Amino acid sequence: MIKQNVIANTALDSPIANASFLNPKGKRWKKSLAADLLLTALIDAFSILVIFLLMNFSSNGEILFMKKDMELPRAARGDSLDRNPVIKIEEGKVFLEEKMLTAEGLIQELLELRKAFRASHPAGEEMPTTITVQADRRTKYEALNSIVLACAHAGFSDLKFAVIMK
Amino acid sequence: MSQSKKHLDFELNLIPFIDLLSTCICFLLLTAVWLNVGSMNVKQAVGGQPVAETPKKPTLWVFLGDKGDMTLETRDAQTLPVNMRKLKLAAAADGKTNLLQLAAQLDLMKKAEPELKTALIQPRAQTSYEDIIDLMDQFKKSGMGDLGVVPL
Repeated sequence: MIKQNVIANTALDSPIANASFLNPKGKRWKKSLAADLLLTALIDAFSILVIFLLMNFSSNGEILFMKKDMELPRAARGDSLDRNPVIKIEEGKVFLEEKMLTAEGLIQELLELRKAFRASHPAGEEMPTTITVQADRRTKYEALNSIVLACAHAGFSDLKFAVIMK
Repeated sequence: MSQSKKHLDFELNLIPFIDLLSTCICFLLLTAVWLNVGSMNVKQAVGGQPVAETPKKPTLWVFLGDKGDMTLETRDAQTLPVNMRKLKLAAAADGKTNLLQLAAQLDLMKKAEPELKTALIQPRAQTSYEDIIDLMDQFKKSGMGDLGVVPL
């Protein structure tokens, strides 16, 4: 019975051994052209790939959306990035969660954000004072300054500058 | 007793298993995030509670110059020698901030004043964001975790 199954045909009598010129195990002149696939090795490779990819899998989803030409600065001692309101500088324009704003508009919008949080949390829970800042590594500080000031005015004292971990 | 001769070996149908693994690999490859994004946490130097209420702790102020130079000024550090309280560091050969010299200086400062954990950075308008992050990274490597950035 065991000689008829797939394993017996593939692993025990391998096509390489049968086709060997030096010490053929099968019938010498009846060489089969159809090579049997060793499924065990394939499944091993697939399993390793799945485990590796599962370890890299992020269940949080994308926190930042970046354009192709945006390069974040690199840092070795960064912390993990959580989901907070994101202020982005792109081509000199300031965006709060994809909404383009001026410096004055940014303060207003941040205050509105706090108001909305208070309205949705009637128990008196305070909104976290953390903001994520996303900017290209070549951005000058004068462009970031308006964001720093706006956050200070609106009561967001903790800034998280997005970086790529080295 | 023909029943006792029943063979116990069975063949496992591997094809659905391979299908499942292939689907898993495709899904995971498509949803994989290859860039490891982190953050550099910063507390703002301006605003918050009044100065009188703020507990005094040793603080290092870093004033960045236009040409990669910087001035380090330590405030409220009692055990730090006077000659280390205000220092000027020249730029590196490439015109950027000299991070190696800064690291060496910070090590000396930390030995003299172990409580020195706060650094406030005052950049110039033309200082690039990357230089500020490099500087913050260096401070974190030197054990100074409380960082702040001062508006212009």
